[in-house]
Amino acid sequence: MNLIQAPQGVRLKIVDISGGEQVRRRLLSLGFHAGDEIERIGRGILRGPLLVKMIRSGSSVAIGRGIALKILVEIADGPE
Amino acid sequence: MVPNNAPFVIFIGQPNCGKSTLFNAIAGHKAQTSNFPGTTVKHTHSRVNIGGRLLNIIDLPGTYSLNPADPAEKVALTHLFQETPDLVVNVVDASILGRSLELTLELLEMELPMVVALNMTDLAEKKGIKVDPQKLSALLGVPVISTIATRGKGIQELFETTLKCLDVKCFGTRLKWSGDVEEEIERLIERLPEDFSCVANKRFTAIKMIESGHLFCNEFLADINPGLKKSLDEVRANLECKRRLPVYEVIAAERHHLSQKIFEESSRVQRGKAIGWQERLDGLIMHPLLGYVILFIVFLSFFFLIFKVGSPLETLLLKPFSWLKAVLEAKLGGGLLFHVADGLLQGIGGGVAIVLPYFIPLLFLMAVLEDVGYLARAGFLLDTFMHRIGLHGKSVSPFILGFGCNVPAIVATRILESRRDRILTSLLIPFIPCSARTTIILALVAFYLGPFWALGFYAANVLLVAVLGRVLSLFMKTASPGLILEIPSLKIPSLKNILFKIYFQLKAFVLFAWPLLVAGSIVLGLIQALHWDRAINAVLSPLVANILGLPKELGVTLVFGFLRKELSLLMMLQALGVGYQNLLSVISRDQMIVFTVFVSFFIPCLSTFAILWKESGKKIAFISAGLSISVAIIVSFLVRLLI
Repeated sequence: MNLIQAPQGVRLKIVDISGGEQVRRRLLSLGFHAGDEIERIGRGILRGPLLVKMIRSGSSVAIGRGIALKILVEIADGPE
Repeated sequence: MVPNNAPFVIFIGQPNCGKSTLFNAIAGHKAQTSNFPGTTVKHTHSRVNIGGRLLNIIDLPGTYSLNPADPAEKVALTHLFQETPDLVVNVVDASILGRSLELTLELLEMELPMVVALNMTDLAEKKGIKVDPQKLSALLGVPVISTIATRGKGIQELFETTLKCLDVKCFGTRLKWSGDVEEEIERLIERLPEDFSCVANKRFTAIKMIESGHLFCNEFLADINPGLKKSLDEVRANLECKRRLPVYEVIAAERHHLSQKIFEESSRVQRGKAIGWQERLDGLIMHPLLGYVILFIVFLSFFFLIFKVGSPLETLLLKPFSWLKAVLEAKLGGGLLFHVADGLLQGIGGGVAIVLPYFIPLLFLMAVLEDVGYLARAGFLLDTFMHRIGLHGKSVSPFILGFGCNVPAIVATRILESRRDRILTSLLIPFIPCSARTTIILALVAFYLGPFWALGFYAANVLLVAVLGRVLSLFMKTASPGLILEIPSLKIPSLKNILFKIYFQLKAFVLFAWPLLVAGSIVLGLIQALHWDRAINAVLSPLVANILGLPKELGVTLVFGFLRKELSLLMMLQALGVGYQNLLSVISRDQMIVFTVFVSFFIPCLSTFAILWKESGKKIAFISAGLSISVAIIVSFLVRLLI
């Protein structure tokens, strides 16, 4: 599933990031790597952006819906 | 004279790592700081005397990596590669060390002497992360100094280490990647001719050639050295085949794993810390419903606070000036001398009594919003609305900066990745009421007609920007690439930082804008005394009198409004020959509104025009000017019909 379909408030594991080189590079440099754990912690109204927290560093990133479609995740299992 | 051989020290770090704050603590508060990724879009250059030694210190825009994504990051790179610094000070955010170290590793690859400033250690500890600087230093092979820039902690030690490292070069450890990747890099290095070096050293050159397909030296490679080009393509293909990933991701993953390893070895992390006040507050600020209520309240109180502080001050300060004017009139009669003296008085008085009472509170509140970190949050909240006008949330920060002054706002569009977004944002910024126009709106509309009229004017202005954005985006061929915006942690702003920020902007106003105000007023006085204004007014009369329905004496003020927007306001009084108190006796309420609308939009001021030209080219600057003139004429004509 992609990040938009994923539930809020649950630890998610990034499976893959699709999309063009530019988007992938920007996400990589902000610390989004396949295998990393993230959590959706908020969303804007009216098809607004998603607020994502990186579990490991604790930093937050706002991601527009167009980009969020390209981040594929699964629900993370096991303890932190 | 200052010798030019002072060593160059470069400050570099990822966006929002506190680099500018640290640089300020050292260079005497010259860089602009704020709590928004990408404030330093231009580099700041400073010559500083530290412990009796003269240093050239350069603060570079924040960059996530040495593979630039936006123009601000490109600035960082050009400097790093071209100026071959004597020392690199790499500022890292201890609270997100794992990610910050990725840039550090890349810098180490360049094999330049380096010192690491481990900043924001207080924030890290709040998050439960304790970094051991000694261990980190041992792993990286360069000195690591723990600092808290906002409180000036560790600065002295950083000074001492910086000076020491200038004498005894501190080169880092060469950190190895996975064997198979190293093998491929080694193969390419061997093929590099002796004298071939694009940047820094051979290994760094090889890595850069591998990871960025469109590096400048790769493009000529096929022509100048076909053999090498073949080897490069082979190496890239091998790596992609081995890891089943695009080659840039292979390299990025190597750095990522290495920095995570170093992070884990040098830090102790306590998980499950209680949620701090920041996170709870953030939950409110970015709440899907409450967030917008808070946003609305913030902007409303922003406006009312400025008005409530400015308006009584304005009344108070205007009194002595109207008294002085009366004295002058009695003493000098109506001759040339009176007109010049009156111009001087209007220029000085306008600065003191009309501009400053609103300008200082505006600067103060703007600095608070910036330093707290509210701009990025506003960007998150407003993203969905920005999409309707063809942009996204990252443009919110330049827009909000535009309320202060359009010039830095246009420079700030460099944080946007795509040229399309930069141009669209730059074209819209001149329609944002900057402090000069806010002065006109508050001093004229709010002062005479009441604050709600002014608020209505503001709301209409924002609506206009939205409509214009929507229309303009129809002309843009490509779509906006979408929002990826880091939300920095909320911070309590430091009063010292805010005061310095106000001081520097005020200094710029007093040094550049005020003399222009005074000179403009004197020139207008002269023009009036010599009766040249009649000719100018006659030329502009079809526009001013026929279309806008204003007294034709106002024509001459428009010419000056191109220099600075406040000038039009000051000169309106001067041109109509009345004092501030009895303005309404010569101009009606409706005329005042039409005039305000027209002056607000009719042309970007000279500095805005110049910066547009510089940032986006001649074409965009002229498009912007043409757009402003047509919008101003259409909108103010409509307003005239409506009221």
